[in-house]
Amino acid sequence: MSGATHKLCLLGDFGVGKTSLVARFVHSTFSDKYLTTVGVKVDSKQVALPGRAAVKLVIWDIAGRNALDALGRNYLRGAAALLLVADGTREDSLASALDLLMQSRSVVPGAIVTLAVNKFDLLDEWEVVPPVLVELRRSLPVFETSARTGEGVEAAFADLAGRLAS
Amino acid sequence: MSTSPSLPPRVGEYMHALMVERLHPLLFTFGEGWQLQAVRGDAAFHGADADAGARMAEIMRDLFTGLPTGQDQGLPFVEFGNARAAHVHLIADGERFHVLLLDAEDEHARQQVRQQLGNEAALAGQAKTRAIDRLKEIRGELERQRASLAEANAFKGALIATLSHEFRTPLTSVFGYLHLLERQVGPGAEALPALQAIRRNATYLLALAENLLAYARGAADAVPLDPSAIDLLALAADVEAMFRPLAEDKGLDFRIECALGEATTAFLDGVRLRQVLINLLSNAIRYTAAGAVSASLAWREGHLHLRISDTGIGISDDFRERVFQPFNRGAQDGSKGAGLGLSIVRRLVAQMHGKLELESRLGAGTRFDIQLPAERAAAPRPAAAPAQPARGCRGASVLVVDDDPDIAQLLEALLSDLGCRVRLASDAAGAIDEVLREAPDLLLIDVQMPGLSGNAAVFRLRSRGYRGRIVTLSATAASAAREAALRAGADHYLTKPLDIEAFIGVMQRLLGERGATRSDAPQVRA
Repeated sequence: MSGATHKLCLLGDFGVGKTSLVARFVHSTFSDKYLTTVGVKVDSKQVALPGRAAVKLVIWDIAGRNALDALGRNYLRGAAALLLVADGTREDSLASALDLLMQSRSVVPGAIVTLAVNKFDLLDEWEVVPPVLVELRRSLPVFETSARTGEGVEAAFADLAGRLAS
Repeated sequence: MSTSPSLPPRVGEYMHALMVERLHPLLFTFGEGWQLQAVRGDAAFHGADADAGARMAEIMRDLFTGLPTGQDQGLPFVEFGNARAAHVHLIADGERFHVLLLDAEDEHARQQVRQQLGNEAALAGQAKTRAIDRLKEIRGELERQRASLAEANAFKGALIATLSHEFRTPLTSVFGYLHLLERQVGPGAEALPALQAIRRNATYLLALAENLLAYARGAADAVPLDPSAIDLLALAADVEAMFRPLAEDKGLDFRIECALGEATTAFLDGVRLRQVLINLLSNAIRYTAAGAVSASLAWREGHLHLRISDTGIGISDDFRERVFQPFNRGAQDGSKGAGLGLSIVRRLVAQMHGKLELESRLGAGTRFDIQLPAERAAAPRPAAAPAQPARGCRGASVLVVDDDPDIAQLLEALLSDLGCRVRLASDAAGAIDEVLREAPDLLLIDVQMPGLSGNAAVFRLRSRGYRGRIVTLSATAASAAREAALRAGADHYLTKPLDIEAFIGVMQRLLGERGATRSDAPQVRA
């Protein structure tokens, strides 16, 4: 049962693990080596939803940055969903993700949004503290994820897919 | 000259050829509803199979999901699947539209190198900032821990000093009253063995406590040597007085020999030297059931040579090193101490830059030889030694000042035995009043008392012209305490627990000097 296709963009500062999250979600792989993304990497995956038609996600892994320039806005056009990605060990990357969300609103005002706070496997080094996430969860779905272990990755994408399908 | 904006056809052809060579254009033409109509260009170069048109059409359609196909648009640096990075352009063309892929792999690679360097530098900068913050935190924590350790160390020092004082004071009473009782019951009395057992165990308790404190001090490693002129004959006499009753109690032949010639004074750390002798003699007597225990002091090649020998159980080769380990209980058969004595001896000898040698045969006995580098000197001759020392005490007035009534009464009894007239005071302020009222020939005063200290009282009395003899009595064995007392004006400094023989000797000498120099009568101004 094949359903609609939706464009999903990952937004976040560089080095937070956007490419790794996609690699984990689409290919079930992980590499420790950091390789910066230039431009955009596009992948797709069918996401099965219980009792509903599967959703095809076309995933745009946009080069990491802490502000949205003209190129970034160009990539965003047509996105139905945004996966904001922050690195739990870098508190400033969370602020960047939220800034990017604010800036993206002029391009994709109706896109649904989920926040992934990545590198949960490095919890001992996290700068992001629980009360901050409690506060954020009042506004948007938040998932603690680890591209290394896969923790929370499927759930974050499934949350978006489910909301796109409904 | 022509100014037409259009290029000559030849140039246009050249540029087209150049673009094709460098950008490897691949063009997909789609009709309405993403119906693939044509594919032009080098599909294989872009990693696309020319026959897999449907698959490429799907990828293109996915790429432009959510975007209008009726207007031109460009997407630079797009990677999809295993294809080469490309600049992707959608070109509207009436009912149909084209998707043009221009190769960007080389440009992408160059951009990636630059971006990678920049991003890694930024990440390293952030990590550095975090590391510096963390280091600051760690430094702060270390500072707090250092302060805490310093506080704990100060507390330990205070505790040791307090304990040292606390156990010395009651032992003074024990040894003093033992002395009185032994004199009262006389030789051969039925109670004598019991008194000897008390003395034996009190001596053992003192040695044990001294060793535990020495070990606890640990920092002794850092305490500098404190050499002073040591009267070796007096030291030998003190140690003999301490151990002879124990040796005789076990039926051992006990001797301390001094082959020092004229040089009976050594410049050494007196506290450490005394501790070495006490520990070795204590062990020798404890582990010798029959035979002899002996000690000798001699000068040999610029060193003070100590030899302590016994005919005791000996030490087997297996235990030769282990006996020097702290808390080595069980290293020797029948041992019952804390196992600290020899480890402390070795440490003390090392601190005095000396050498220690051990010779032993199981069942035959043990011999320790210690060489200590030390300056030597002849003992100063007393200016006028009393012919009959005891006579000097007779009739002399002594004021005893101690807040501990047991000690005060003991001192009173000892001095009365010597024929002194004794008055008592229980605090330093009262002592000053008493001296001002009637100056005694000798003031015997405890240092640590509530309120005004003994040293302060001595200083005040000396500053008011009191010229009688002053002996301070303290539970602190440290040489700094001794110096403080002498600086305050005392003539002599005795430590608790009191060595009775030494005490009597000091009293006789000082009061004898009084007898020899009558004109030096004590005077004091209020």
